[in-house]
Amino acid sequence: MNNRRLQKELADIKASGLKSFRDIEVDDRNILLWSGSVCPDNPPYNKGAFRIEITFPAEYPFKPPKICFKTKIYHPNIDEKGQVCLPIISAENWKPATKTDQVIQALVALVNDPEPEHPLRAELAEEFLKDRKKFMKNAEEFTRKHSEKRHD
Amino acid sequence: MDSNIQRNKQNQAKKLIEKYFYQLTVGCNDEKCQNKNCLSSGLVDKSLTPNQAAVKAIQLYVEEVELCPNIQRNNELIQTTQASSPSITANNEDIEMNETIDNSSSEPQNSLRSNKKSSDNLSTSNAITQSENTMTTMAAVTSKEINFLDENKLNEMIDLCEESKNYAPIIRSLGHVFSNKESVLQSFQRKAKSSIDVILDRVQQPSDIKTMKKEDIRRLEDDEKDEDSKMDCEENDEKEPSYTLVDLESLRRSFKRLYEKNSQAFEALDNAIQSLATLIHLDLRLMRDKEQFEEILYCIVILFEIFQIGSNMLEQSIIRTLSSTVALPVWAQARLAHIWSVHCQDGLRTILLCLQQIITLQVIANTYHRDFHVNDNEIISNATKVMNILFCANLLASEKIETSKFIPECSKNSKSDTSSSSLTDDNDEQDDEDYSSILYNSTASKNIKVYQDPLMKELNISVFDVCEPLIPYEEFQNEPLCDAIETDEDYMRYRNLVYNESSLSYGSNKKFSFMVFPFLLTPSAKTLSLFFDSRVKMYTERRTTFINMAYLGAQAIQNPYLKLKIRRDAIIDDALAELEMVAMTNPKDLKKQIFIEFDGEQGIDEGGLTKEFFQLICEAIFNPDYGMFVTNEDTQTCWFNSFSFENEAQFTLIGIVLGLAIYNSVILPLNFPMVVYKKLLNVRGSWRDLQDWNPMIYNSLKAILDYTEPDMEEVFAQTFEIGYENVFGAPLKHCLKKDGENIQVNQQNKYEFVELYADFLLTQSIEKQFKAFRKGFQMVTDESPLQLLFRPEEIELLVCGSKNFDFDELEKSTEYEAGYTAETEIIKHFWSIVHALPLESKQKLLQFTTGSNRVPVGGLSKLKLVIARHGPDFHVKS
Repeated sequence: MNNRRLQKELADIKASGLKSFRDIEVDDRNILLWSGSVCPDNPPYNKGAFRIEITFPAEYPFKPPKICFKTKIYHPNIDEKGQVCLPIISAENWKPATKTDQVIQALVALVNDPEPEHPLRAELAEEFLKDRKKFMKNAEEFTRKHSEKRHD
Repeated sequence: MDSNIQRNKQNQAKKLIEKYFYQLTVGCNDEKCQNKNCLSSGLVDKSLTPNQAAVKAIQLYVEEVELCPNIQRNNELIQTTQASSPSITANNEDIEMNETIDNSSSEPQNSLRSNKKSSDNLSTSNAITQSENTMTTMAAVTSKEINFLDENKLNEMIDLCEESKNYAPIIRSLGHVFSNKESVLQSFQRKAKSSIDVILDRVQQPSDIKTMKKEDIRRLEDDEKDEDSKMDCEENDEKEPSYTLVDLESLRRSFKRLYEKNSQAFEALDNAIQSLATLIHLDLRLMRDKEQFEEILYCIVILFEIFQIGSNMLEQSIIRTLSSTVALPVWAQARLAHIWSVHCQDGLRTILLCLQQIITLQVIANTYHRDFHVNDNEIISNATKVMNILFCANLLASEKIETSKFIPECSKNSKSDTSSSSLTDDNDEQDDEDYSSILYNSTASKNIKVYQDPLMKELNISVFDVCEPLIPYEEFQNEPLCDAIETDEDYMRYRNLVYNESSLSYGSNKKFSFMVFPFLLTPSAKTLSLFFDSRVKMYTERRTTFINMAYLGAQAIQNPYLKLKIRRDAIIDDALAELEMVAMTNPKDLKKQIFIEFDGEQGIDEGGLTKEFFQLICEAIFNPDYGMFVTNEDTQTCWFNSFSFENEAQFTLIGIVLGLAIYNSVILPLNFPMVVYKKLLNVRGSWRDLQDWNPMIYNSLKAILDYTEPDMEEVFAQTFEIGYENVFGAPLKHCLKKDGENIQVNQQNKYEFVELYADFLLTQSIEKQFKAFRKGFQMVTDESPLQLLFRPEEIELLVCGSKNFDFDELEKSTEYEAGYTAETEIIKHFWSIVHALPLESKQKLLQFTTGSNRVPVGGLSKLKLVIARHGPDFHVKS
């Protein structure tokens, strides 16, 4: 499997050395499946690392990639199955010129600053808006319990 | 009156400028002339171009330089050299008339001005002289026979009549000119503009030429170069099919003015045009010469322009003119369509409305019976044929589907395509079915007659070439007419027209059928015609069977029906096996009425079992587990599975099923994207067809085309090799052209890439499957007027039924959970909003809640919609 565009994007991302997205792993036989760790800067998530998988369709870049969290996370925009609602890769907004590093940065930004206006988990969004203290406490605890260790 | 004074001033100024112009270019013929601005003195540069001379003349006029004394006498010569009028004699008359009018209208004003300071007594006497003056001019106008009209003449006459409050002269002249073909021919001819007019046109405020500065005048001269290149373009026009000599602009302006000032004059026009149209109609019968037809065309173009302005006064003239228009040979009608499509785009709708009015009025005002059908009404049939010209003009003026430049077989196929759909049977050479292009080629086999409108053939245009018509197709439909048409009679005439080749002349009224003018028909009228076609064929088949049996006895026992015996638990296998048998041994049997018998059941098929059969078989075939079709996630539409394990025969059989459903008037619960119907009808495809099947890829391709930065290779890093998935999700690669993996997509080749990609998705990847599918479809529908009558959108309606969204029904059948009832405030609000939504949004709501934007068979009540409380929001699920 040889996809020129993905090879190039992968090389660029690895070369740029993003702090918030590390440990990128791609199977040599299948460049359409990437995995890596998201390391947010903001509390309550800044203590842990979260594994994600990026799946590219065969028609990439004519269809957008999909992102899935492999590590459990307490976040209004990410559901229990790890699905995330990211406008930049939605069917309506997708542009073939969008690069994967833009997608990753959008994802990191969403993790750092939840958007309770468009929640996937309504109850977390409500907690986030009405009782921020409780939300932070729950999320920190959840992160400590479930997230991976950071290597920094 | 203000505008009149202004116009007079301008005319005077123009006359003076013309004198200077003449002095510069011809001279005063006085050998002793000392004027340095006169050619005769030898002091003027002889190499002046006409335009330069015109600019110079304006300059001299502004500076009020002395004129040679005897220039005035030769004044009329200027005009004859400038204007390329039809005949010099006519032109001279014109000028004399201008003179008289000009003098008379300017003199009173001069005297008025001088009299301003004088006493009241004098001014009354002045008024008398003024009226005397007008009287003499009136005499001058009426005493001279006016042989033709143009904008100036008409305007001057309107002014004069305004002043005297007497429109008799103008009515007389209009009557005179418009009852005579020769006069109309000379009227409103497009003239080569004189240099002075060209230059004066550039002056922004013509009223204050006097106050112009030198720089302004010089600038006039500078503009000249661009103007010259424009002139070249105009000359090339003559070869265009839309070329016309009629000066449409001035014609429209002046007649609009006339209509506003005095619409009564149009009554006189009505009489005149009636006799003119009758004359033309008689003339046409004897004509053979192309020139003569062009002359008639000239008249007709003028007449229709006038109809647009005063249609309500001219009904009888319009009706007469229609019959002359229809009597034109096809090529001349084609010319008319071209002229309308280019010069008359804004007026098309007015003409259309006017024709519709005539038809509707004729339908309502007459009673039709067995011996006098609506088809026999000549006014209606003529209006229909003129509407056909209009329809073609509308197609010509609309945006066409872009033809692919990069699909190699394109040009060859489009040629053979038109020949195959015509009545001539010379399509033998293309029977080898070459589908490898985005053009969905016809499989029309031999001896199948498909009617094609002669005018559309002449213009080489079809509804299928147009993506968005200028005037929507719906506006061409005439409902009262459709209600009045006796479909059986109309269908029989259609058969006469199509199957009886000897009498295939365009416009022979005995065979006039509305079926060959499908733009007039509403979808339901079309469906009815199609129904008649199928029934007539079914009965013919049945009768032949009985006759055969009677003559040949027992050895020829055949079933008069297409009888299928089906086991409910093996519906696909049984149906396909039986149909395959019929298709292989005797494909004509497919045209018999279908008759279903379910194994082990007593039911006799009176139509109900047929419906049930189609319903069941569609559910089974389009079930994703069956693997012949795949469903697109975004649009929920079915598409051919390019990796299907089924052989081509299966797809052929599905094509037969679809054809049979249409043939037997059964509605199917199908969800094909529009492009499938387009392909079935051999509509020329384009990459835009992706939109309703795969909007995601469509949007991505559009983004590539819209990207204009030069760093395309850098940003997209896309080659001519694309990836796709098979049904199991395994990625595959495809090269769009030779060595594609090494060719980068850039600004130069992006269109090629998009078209090749779309062609791959829409045609190449499913070629085998679709070819087989269409073959089956055409086995049933090859002789049907389907392609003549229906556009792809209408086929979809025919197959899938109406998209009538009855949301009241949905509201009644909706259930509520978790704290909501039909009485809850929020639910009431919800439904009041839903009912107020436009159709498009209702469709989206349906798509959102059910995953399909179609009404399921059985109506919206068949949906199980549940509204439940979920967290702080309220959720809808189904």
